[in-house]
Amino acid sequence: MAPRRSKHAPLLSMRGRRALLPWALLVPPLGVIGVLLLLPIGRIVWLSFRDFKLRNLVSGESDFIGLSNYVTLLTDPYLWQTVLVNTLTFAVVAVVTTVVLGTLVALLLSTLRPLPRIIVVSCIMVAWAMPAVSGTYVWIWIFDVDQGVIAQALMGMGVVDPGGYNWFADRFWFYAIVTLNIVHSGFPFVAVTLLAGLLTVPKELYEAARIDGAGAWKRFWHVTFPTLRPVFAVVTVLSTIWDFKVFAQIYLMPGGDVGGSEMLNLGVWSYVKSFGQNDFGMGSAIAVMLTLLLLGVTIVYLRALFREDELR
Amino acid sequence: MARRRVHQYLPLPAASLALVLAATACGGGDGGGDTDTLQVWIMEGTNPDATSFFDEVGTAFEEDNGIGVEVEFVPWQDAQDKISTAIAGDTLPDVVELGTTFTPEYADAGVLHDLSGYIDDPSRFQQEMYEMGVADDAAYGVPWYASIRSIIYRKDIFEEHGHEEPANWEELRDTALDLAEAEEDMIAFPVPGDAQYSVMPWIWGGGGEVAVEEADGTWSSTIDSPEGRAGVEFFTDLALEDDLSTTGAVNWNEIDVMEALSDEQAIMAISNSSNPKAIIENNPDLEDRLGVFVLPGQEDGYTESFAGGSLLSVFEGTGNEEAAWRYVDLLTNGEYFERWGEESGFFPAGVEEIEGYAESEDPLVQPFATQLLEAGKSTPAVPAWSQVEAEGVIVKMQQDILNGNASVEEATDTAAETIENILNEGN
Repeated sequence: MAPRRSKHAPLLSMRGRRALLPWALLVPPLGVIGVLLLLPIGRIVWLSFRDFKLRNLVSGESDFIGLSNYVTLLTDPYLWQTVLVNTLTFAVVAVVTTVVLGTLVALLLSTLRPLPRIIVVSCIMVAWAMPAVSGTYVWIWIFDVDQGVIAQALMGMGVVDPGGYNWFADRFWFYAIVTLNIVHSGFPFVAVTLLAGLLTVPKELYEAARIDGAGAWKRFWHVTFPTLRPVFAVVTVLSTIWDFKVFAQIYLMPGGDVGGSEMLNLGVWSYVKSFGQNDFGMGSAIAVMLTLLLLGVTIVYLRALFREDELR
Repeated sequence: MARRRVHQYLPLPAASLALVLAATACGGGDGGGDTDTLQVWIMEGTNPDATSFFDEVGTAFEEDNGIGVEVEFVPWQDAQDKISTAIAGDTLPDVVELGTTFTPEYADAGVLHDLSGYIDDPSRFQQEMYEMGVADDAAYGVPWYASIRSIIYRKDIFEEHGHEEPANWEELRDTALDLAEAEEDMIAFPVPGDAQYSVMPWIWGGGGEVAVEEADGTWSSTIDSPEGRAGVEFFTDLALEDDLSTTGAVNWNEIDVMEALSDEQAIMAISNSSNPKAIIENNPDLEDRLGVFVLPGQEDGYTESFAGGSLLSVFEGTGNEEAAWRYVDLLTNGEYFERWGEESGFFPAGVEEIEGYAESEDPLVQPFATQLLEAGKSTPAVPAWSQVEAEGVIVKMQQDILNGNASVEEATDTAAETIENILNEGN
């Protein structure tokens, strides 16, 4: 393409343009963030202070009820005994498992030659690319209580009675299946990101460590991990955010959508309150709580990260 | 070179501003007022494929009114979310099919158009269903079809082992026990966990009430009375004690139950009147091998079963209310009213039409008609009832018992208490 030249005199001086350029480039993302993120968040905070039911959704009018939704929420034993426990325990277990597995895969990948590496990376990308809904249905199908592969195998081996066992009704096994699902779809991101980091670690560091007599574990702990600390921080923060707000993978499971069931986490509970029971004010209060919890966790992580950076 | 770049990209601020404006503009001006086509939401679940029926109705409507019709099929489970979202986003359709149990809530919320001015003769509709759409003298829905649940069974298997249709609960249990032994690989009587309308008959049949209004206007539930418990216990014991069901059935809804029948896994199951056609559509081999019997009474007579169905409603404020009504009228009056019944297996919700079915010769239709006319029962016609369903109170009770997480006593206690709380808080 031939370069186009403006025939008009420039409206701004060169310096003015320079100063404007970053802002010009930032306008689209800022606009998108404002419209798609800040607006809905503001609306949810507003909703959480209101008595907002189906009738209000229709009329558009609602009453301000102060902290009433939050008081109801925080005094509900269901929050403390079920929902919060599910959300936190699941997030911790899933994040640790995802990061550890992702790291191991990344270490494996870094030792491979280019061609095998491309093949393995492509394979794990398939797990990553699987949409959450289809992925969840595949897991439900694998774990089908009567006909599933796992049930058939366990019954064949005599581990489970021929009558079968409904693991979807057992909180531990329910979340074990969710964890499997989440780790399966989450580890490729960690592995690929860490692999990119691993390839930048200078070989000399490992050679020096080897000469000093460091074994594999010591080389990882004293060379790889400190060098890649920022990368680890990023994958951990992101995994935490994803695992805290996991929704489809729980909601679609048998028993995952029944109000008052012991399988709900904060995200699903918020949805069931809002759309199942048409209590949008209460649902919003739960969503605000989830957001605050996530912000808190993220701030703690980020502070830890920056403190480490200052020390070095 | 770098300078050239800056120069070339100068129009960026304007471009990006335009982009942002374009992005934000998408939010507005989407809802209602579109008179070119009529938007219709029809529910889909355990009925046979309805596409060709609605294509034909749409063509007929367009010929008479010059307005095209766009029908969208919505799975029952998604209906509520979809309607809420559409209300919030102002993207409601013009006509919607609403289940009887959900109509009072939407009528109460003020989202539906009052059709009382259009309906010339309300008495020609099944009255219990018509009442579901009535609030303060306004009619927010037109009864479209009634559905009822009885028991579909494998006639060939019954005959092979010399069994008759059972006449009371004990006979039902004995028949199932015997068939379970004779057909080891089959499920004699699935006891589903995620199908509340399959649980209600046993509560009623035992002598309990899911919810009943007291003289002072409060609601009480007697699921936890000895009678209610006896019914629930009988049903769940078919799975827990007699092993006539399968462990996985705890997670089954009515669609899964129907699939168990059409996959030739189950011998008999509580099923909807629209199921025989859908089952034969799925598995033509079962033609002439199915039978239906009315839910037998605990001792004799019949056990009451949940009579549901759908009303057609028109949303308020779409600007198309007049045309929407004409479409509703086309479906609930005359030819298409009856044809939908014949094609779907549901019953047209008109008094005359239903009575016609009671004399039906069709063994897959007549027992359902008897059940509907003599032993049909509905849930309370109050807005708060839909909360009981949305919260899955009866589903949770049933699943807790089947999973062994609660005894019948504990689970029925919790369910009765929750139902009373919801219904009494809502009024």
